[in-house]
Amino acid sequence: MTFDPAIDASVKKQTSGRRPRVAADRGSGGTSRSRSAINLLAALIVSGVVLYAAFAGAGPLPALGPAFNPVTGAWTMAADAAVGSQTLHLAGLDKPVNVTFEADGTSHIVAQTDHDLFLATGYVHARFRLFQMDLLRRQGEGRLSEVVGKAALDSDRFELQLGLLRTAQAEWNAASQRSRDAVTAYAQGVNDRISEAEANHQLDAMFTLLGYQPKPWTPIDSLIVKGDMTQTLNFTDTPLVMALLQKSLGADLTAQWVPTIPPNPQSPYDPGPYPPGASPAPIAAFSQVTDNEAIAAADAYQYLASLPAGLVATGGDSNNWAVAGSRSASGGALMAGDPHLHLTLPAIWYQLTMDSPGYHVSGVSIPGTPVVLIGHNQHISWSLTDAQNQQTFFYLEHEDAAHPNQYFWNNAWQTYKTVSYDIPVLGGPTDHLTVKLSVHGPVITERGQTTSVWWAGNIPSQDLDVLLGIDQASNYQQFRDALRGWYSPTHNFVYADDQGNIGMISAGYYPQFAAGQPWLPMPGTGEYDVTGTIPFDYVPQLYDPPDGIIWSANQRQVTPDYPYYIGTASNFFDPGYRANEINRVLSQATSDCAVPPCLSKLSAADMMALQTDTRDYLASEIVPILLRAIPASPEKDLLASWDYRMDVNSPAATIWWTFWQSYLAATFDPYWKAHDVTVARSDVNDALGQDLEAWTLGDPNNAVFKFGGSSNTATDVMRLAFASTVTQLTRQLGSGPSTWTWGRVHQRVIQNLAQITGLDYGPRPDGGDANTPLAAPDFPSSHGPSWRMVVDWGAGTFQAIYPGGQSENPASTWYDDRVSAWFDGKYAAMLTADAAAKAVGAKTWSLLP
Amino acid sequence: MEPAAVKALAAVILAAIVAIVGVLLGVWWAPFVAGLAIGFVQPRARFAVPAGAAVGLLAWAFPLAALQVQYGAASAASSLAAIMGFGHQGAIPIVLTLVVGALLGLTGAWLGSAARTLAYPAISR
Repeated sequence: MTFDPAIDASVKKQTSGRRPRVAADRGSGGTSRSRSAINLLAALIVSGVVLYAAFAGAGPLPALGPAFNPVTGAWTMAADAAVGSQTLHLAGLDKPVNVTFEADGTSHIVAQTDHDLFLATGYVHARFRLFQMDLLRRQGEGRLSEVVGKAALDSDRFELQLGLLRTAQAEWNAASQRSRDAVTAYAQGVNDRISEAEANHQLDAMFTLLGYQPKPWTPIDSLIVKGDMTQTLNFTDTPLVMALLQKSLGADLTAQWVPTIPPNPQSPYDPGPYPPGASPAPIAAFSQVTDNEAIAAADAYQYLASLPAGLVATGGDSNNWAVAGSRSASGGALMAGDPHLHLTLPAIWYQLTMDSPGYHVSGVSIPGTPVVLIGHNQHISWSLTDAQNQQTFFYLEHEDAAHPNQYFWNNAWQTYKTVSYDIPVLGGPTDHLTVKLSVHGPVITERGQTTSVWWAGNIPSQDLDVLLGIDQASNYQQFRDALRGWYSPTHNFVYADDQGNIGMISAGYYPQFAAGQPWLPMPGTGEYDVTGTIPFDYVPQLYDPPDGIIWSANQRQVTPDYPYYIGTASNFFDPGYRANEINRVLSQATSDCAVPPCLSKLSAADMMALQTDTRDYLASEIVPILLRAIPASPEKDLLASWDYRMDVNSPAATIWWTFWQSYLAATFDPYWKAHDVTVARSDVNDALGQDLEAWTLGDPNNAVFKFGGSSNTATDVMRLAFASTVTQLTRQLGSGPSTWTWGRVHQRVIQNLAQITGLDYGPRPDGGDANTPLAAPDFPSSHGPSWRMVVDWGAGTFQAIYPGGQSENPASTWYDDRVSAWFDGKYAAMLTADAAAKAVGAKTWSLLP
Repeated sequence: MEPAAVKALAAVILAAIVAIVGVLLGVWWAPFVAGLAIGFVQPRARFAVPAGAAVGLLAWAFPLAALQVQYGAASAASSLAAIMGFGHQGAIPIVLTLVVGALLGLTGAWLGSAARTLAYPAISR
């Protein structure tokens, strides 16, 4: 018997008397065999092509088989998106852990031991954000090229050069037992999830599409993720910018336009008095930059400018403030915080509560780290903004041809240390990198003059231990003590507690010098080295101020009387408009009070309104002066009736913003051209804007307006800039100024972290600008309030939102479900685990040993 | 239906079951092997090749349909389209998925059939 029907058929045909095909083909047997061979060859080739594409991919296509098959491929994102109640077994758990998910995915982890809490946190983070975590660690460890190819090689080389990996390894070696326990348990939880996902084919679709599997998570990886954040907030190129400005504009103009102390009205939160016994660093006057120094600065500046966005800090935008119980409607302290970061999907934040015998904390964590970074516990709440002090310094190493591979430091020739790395590159040969290190740090250019960089982020610190301490603190003293160990990035930590107290500490490392000009690249011969930091007791801080309010918005925290160098007006500190506006609102008087000072009582609703406030403080100062300078016109009428709010439907907002850019250009561009300045003016617009504001308000006859010997004043230049504004907007938006609404030119986009534009949210018209409490710089804006939290200790309410969702899976409803509400200025209650378990739509995981 | 046709159909159904089970177990290339077997067993390429393609299509379509029934696949399809640069045209990844499955079966059957023709020229058509 045969299973082949053809054989049966052939037999039947023979028996019916018809001539078998084999006989008919006898004469052409050779031809037939040739045809068969060709057919087989063709089949082999086509099959080979299909199988190659299926197994290995082709060109930009991933391996089609693993990527698209419905069982283990990217389609599994559909199953992954469905989160239900279930029981899971995790290796390493000591006792059962309960995880409750609210309808929006906010997770509440309740563990019976601290170890289990961190392990479960690692598991939950990895369950929803593993690809994001892998990208973060790969970025810091210089391993992106391994999975995306040579497009990421510049980033990898720079990261390994800068040294996040070296620093993380040093931090791990010096970590406290508390940190080690937390990070080790966390890594176990992440690895539990990786093992489970691999076994069940549940890895995030991006792993499948990129064709790789995540390596086991290590404690070093968590420290790298913290390093990424430090870098994106505090690694700056400003001294290079200053050197190039000084070389082209000259020392006098640079000192005048980019001064150490900002020239415009500011709202420092710590007005002093300052430590009388302090001995401030002897900072030298601005001096000329040599040709070689300028070549080195230009080379390093261009190198850093060529790197992908996010590797070099480009200014910070964040707000936080607190109101004492004496000033609040509820009688308890109020606190608000909205850190402004690059807005991505998935977001940098993952919202959760962590409950165990040692921890009862709620807020947001960064996936990859085992702590709540911003939030509250049972007694205190806190948030942070970037303190913006200078933490990056460049050193020009003194070398000599007679001493190859050496530099002169502390009166002796020192040999550079070197570290070598191999960087695997997808689809290409492995890249070899050798990093030279001086005592100051890694060498970043050898053109002109060898330049190394000293960065506070490279000082091994115990920031995770600090955060664990904050999570456990129950009063200001414990909170402050915990912050003593915080190095970088320097942050303004705002504080409020259940006893009505408020405070702020700008904790971190403030490098000090025996001599030199730290805002420029300095000689590396030893005399200008960092000698230490400002003592913790003397860093900017304030506790329970008499007027009952504290605020920070990246502004300079102290007055000109502060005896330490902390940075210049350029880039390091915000111009101060948001801080001024916040201070203005919090200090507003009320009319229904008999005994002055009649300060209004503030509520949580007021805090929310201020977080989404689009009032431009700079506009409120300048527009009244502008109105006096310009002739009557429909455009002027719009400005005259404007409330200074950068709202989507406001044409005046568009006119104001365009005018301010024209005014900056009309004032400074002639100098830029005349001096052939190689730094884009927009790189120093913050500093120049402060100058222009100060001159417009108080010195309209300043010489800057009289370029080329003209007799212009601020009024003349404003008039010219306004005419240019009207011309530009007419050309861009049409002839009806009432239609020039802000929303037509200003949108916001929440970008996909993997830069897949089809998974972005927006662009969508949105209010605000770079200077408003609702920060929205750039066009379209992809930077802004990454988390809004408002705490009212009197009412016992905790409310928050972030523009994203808990899951990185784009097929999940938790991918971007919070974004629309965030745009609308809404908040969600931060529930306790018990309340969450009773909420509609809650789901529970039982994690068992 | 003639017994030979019944046997042929049974062979294809058996191959389809094997392919589906294989895919469900994570062996996504099972349709190629099933197609190879069909092609090698069936003497007529005009039957074997389409049958292999159908088996491949079925083997990848079945779990996709199951995914749709169990979880809903529309959002995943839309997301995949976005990742591939096709906006949110969810039909494109669905078609691509089915095409890949069908191609695996088709090429397997073609290769099996071609090999058979060379090995057994007397009984192949």
